[in-house]
Amino acid sequence: MNPITPILHGMKITFEHLFKKPVTLQYPDERPKVAQRFRGLHGLKVSHNKAKCVACYLCPTVCPAKCIRVEAGEDANHDKYASVYEIDMLRCIFCGYCVEACPVDALKMTGEFELANYKRSDFVYSKERLLEK
Amino acid sequence: MVNLTIDDKQVSAPKDSTIYDAAKLNGIKIPILCHDKKLKPFGACRMCLVEVEQMKGRQIPACTTPITEGMIIRTDTPDIIKARKLVLELLLLNHPLDCPVCDKGGDCDLQNLTYDYQVNSNRFVDSKFQHEIDYNNPLIERDMNRCVLCGKCVRICDEIVGFGALTFIDRGIETKIGCEFEKGLNCEFCGSCVSVCPVGSLLARPFKFKSRFWALNKQNSVCGYCGTGCNLTLGVKDNKVLTTIYDENQGFHKGQLCVRGRFGYQFISSDKRLTKPMVRKNGVLTESTWDEALEVVAGRLKGGTDVAALATARLTNEEFTLFKKLLEKAGTKNFDHSAGYAHAALTDGFARSFGTSASPASILDVQKSDLLLVIKTDTYETHPVVGFEINMAVKNKGVKLTVLSDKRGKLSKLPNAKTLVHTPGSEIVILNALAKAILDAKLTDGSASIIPGLPELELSLAAYGADAVYSQCGISAADINKLASEYAAAEKALIIFPVGQAYSGHTAELATAAANLALLTGKYGKEGCGVLCLSEKNNSQGAVDMGFYAQNGSMNALQILDACTSGTVKTLFIAGENPLNSYPDKDKVKSALNAVDFLVVSELFMTETAAMADVVLPVCSFAEKEGTFTSADRRVQYVKPAVRKGIQTKTDYEVFSDLICCLGGQIPPSTAAQFDEIAGRVPGYQGLSHASLRINSAFAPVSITPAFVVPKVPAPVTTGQGMLAMVTGSALYHSGTLSQFGEGSMYVCPEAYVELSRTDAAALKIADNDLVNVSSNAGKLQLKAKVTARMPSGVVFVPYHFSAAPVNTIWNGAAVTPVSLSK
Ligand code: SF4
Ligand code: SF4
Ligand code: SF4
Ligand code: SF4
Ligand code: SF4
Ligand code: FES
Repeated sequence: MNPITPILHGMKITFEHLFKKPVTLQYPDERPKVAQRFRGLHGLKVSHNKAKCVACYLCPTVCPAKCIRVEAGEDANHDKYASVYEIDMLRCIFCGYCVEACPVDALKMTGEFELANYKRSDFVYSKERLLEK
Repeated sequence: MVNLTIDDKQVSAPKDSTIYDAAKLNGIKIPILCHDKKLKPFGACRMCLVEVEQMKGRQIPACTTPITEGMIIRTDTPDIIKARKLVLELLLLNHPLDCPVCDKGGDCDLQNLTYDYQVNSNRFVDSKFQHEIDYNNPLIERDMNRCVLCGKCVRICDEIVGFGALTFIDRGIETKIGCEFEKGLNCEFCGSCVSVCPVGSLLARPFKFKSRFWALNKQNSVCGYCGTGCNLTLGVKDNKVLTTIYDENQGFHKGQLCVRGRFGYQFISSDKRLTKPMVRKNGVLTESTWDEALEVVAGRLKGGTDVAALATARLTNEEFTLFKKLLEKAGTKNFDHSAGYAHAALTDGFARSFGTSASPASILDVQKSDLLLVIKTDTYETHPVVGFEINMAVKNKGVKLTVLSDKRGKLSKLPNAKTLVHTPGSEIVILNALAKAILDAKLTDGSASIIPGLPELELSLAAYGADAVYSQCGISAADINKLASEYAAAEKALIIFPVGQAYSGHTAELATAAANLALLTGKYGKEGCGVLCLSEKNNSQGAVDMGFYAQNGSMNALQILDACTSGTVKTLFIAGENPLNSYPDKDKVKSALNAVDFLVVSELFMTETAAMADVVLPVCSFAEKEGTFTSADRRVQYVKPAVRKGIQTKTDYEVFSDLICCLGGQIPPSTAAQFDEIAGRVPGYQGLSHASLRINSAFAPVSITPAFVVPKVPAPVTTGQGMLAMVTGSALYHSGTLSQFGEGSMYVCPEAYVELSRTDAAALKIADNDLVNVSSNAGKLQLKAKVTARMPSGVVFVPYHFSAAPVNTIWNGAAVTPVSLSK
């Protein structure tokens, strides 16, 4: 084969792309469109001004990465609530089992994917950080 | 055996079985909800329906139907499944279904059955129950909305516990479980109802929301409180003991526990536990290192003819043996436990009468006997699970019960129980009178004549005619003669009495007097017979078996304290004992501990005794160590660590090992090897090893060499004009001084009290809960009054246990102390 042909072929492809819409994103100036069912950072749903979570311990039980820590407390009405709810994002594998297991639909996974941080301890998300804003 | 067919399988079962038992025996599973093997058949829930061909295929409950020869039974036809589903649907109809917040989730029979039978929907509609939930009780939360009315709680509290706190209230759909007049629960808090409740209606409040059942690490252990030696399962999470778990197959008691075992576990993972060794520097106890602390202690022990030691009866057998070796290495023979007298019934009384320092009877004999003679109703309080056995013997087996006591109590309330209330302190007189009555009426057994000492005994009893003792003990001659003839006539009879630091009247003499009765009538060495001495703490019997007490002229506990005061003992090693609170005469103990040059205390907590020490060593509870405990009836049981010990704590075994090394001895062997050595030496322990005990506990058999011994009778106590007779003892909710750190016990019995009769209360114008001053020769103490119907007039009862109001400020060890009460 003529050695020039593949080069010309390559140039053609390159040239064509000059007129196509770019696939790369100019992140962070440009933001990706996150799909609805994307499994990003968890969120604790709120209803009647408090977290819906009743600290039933099903999510820590089902979690394959064992990265959820829940401690239950008793509130003034003797109801159960999560006095501690923590997820260690460094260990989470974003499988979504926790969301599936929750019997009261208190947990969701958001589109939030920017989880980089400076310290390991910052990856342990406390209840306050997880509460849906 | 009866032959029958279950699900096409030819099986056989004992003839008193129900269909459920027969199926279970042959590995066929029938679902149950209201049935419990410990309780009488009830048949409330209809989960266990089966079809019996001979009954034209009618559906009948398996748990209440006895088997008959040739029965053909089907347990899983589509019709039965349908019927069971209907039962579940109806149960779930008004049920709150709040499993996510219900502590029973994961361990709930209703939940499991619903899952097994896939009851996903309900054909019926009705509103949920709206019963009020009892959140106020510190130990038991009652949520009747979740109740399936299986009646197990009602039945266990009645049939086994014998308290009867719970009952069905109202009828029809309104039916619920409640207490009298729908008041709060105020009972023994043994937690039996909680343990058998198949759903989340009755829950342990101290454990509320702490963890899920499946997340708990279940660790088998042996209760660390009393000598009954109940087995228990600790629920552990994150190295913390969070609860006790019911296991119906555990121990002779089938998982039954008392309030201390069930709810008093908090001391194990308490944050008040000592975590670091402490050494007194410039007068203050300062945190230190093990190296420093052990060096200081070893320096004092070296060449220690002036060394003495006191130990708690809660150490393991291995620790007692090693402690003894350490002390012998240091050069002293002066060591003792349990105030020196609480073990005398065994080490002196039984040693003389039976030739062995152990009881010639076991707790299993209680239900096999025909007649029980219990000395002091307090037996129920000191050893509650033995009390359950007595309940069951009386109620289910028709065993006759006579109680000799200075007050009435729980045992007096059992059906047909006879309580002979005597003048405090006259137990031995009565036992002697009984012996005399047996001799006079010629009711002795043939075997008695060959036992040495009979003529001397007969002679010594001359003054104990039933009429003659009336003035001393207040029991009529007729009662004494009747009891004597009943006891002698019974085929099997068992005498039971507790001992302990608060029962200073239960001496060696009492033990010999009781033993004489058994020997005279040949009621020993046979099933259901004998004399059972219930030693106080979880390893009191072990301490005796290991020989950790004053022998051959060495000093006993009280002499050791005297020697501290006089200066002959300069170094005192106290392992876990809290004499300042639990030995008689607080002032005397205090001056002894002040006087002694050097005091080292190994403890779990900063007790008042530890606070006086020069060195405090933080050691481990029963749940953090390996070893063996010997129960009051010589069951040798193995314990293994259920939780890791604190980083800076050591087991007593390690402490003694390290000290032996510091003194230049060889490194002692492992606990298992130490036990092998014990097994080779201690009579009855032959053939036992950690490996075998790990699988099954074992009785160390007792061999008896009988002898009649003349008991020395203490002089009767005369309480002067206007004075009352104070007797000391144990409260149901407590054991020793350790239970003060078990929150469960403290919730329901937080402080000491003085219990007095209604007549005395009326005469002194004292009402319940009044603060009264109790004064004796020794001192004065302010206590809350508890006016009860069980106390005879002229007698008051004060429990020990409590540091905040230690009874030893007014009690110097006498069985009966004259006191006066004033507001
Ligand atoms: S997404 Fe998966 S790994 Fe992450 S917390 Fe949930 S269950 Fe655990
Ligand atoms: S009792 Fe059982 S079924 Fe009922 S809410 Fe609790 S766990 Fe669920
Ligand atoms: S705790 Fe014991 S005494 Fe109290 S109600 Fe339950 S079973 Fe009865
Ligand atoms: S409270 Fe529990 S044990 Fe008692 S009847 Fe109801 S379900 Fe049965
Ligand atoms: S304190 Fe005694 S009776 Fe109660 S559970 Fe423990 S060993 Fe059993
Ligand atoms: S288990 Fe048989 S009727 Fe309830």
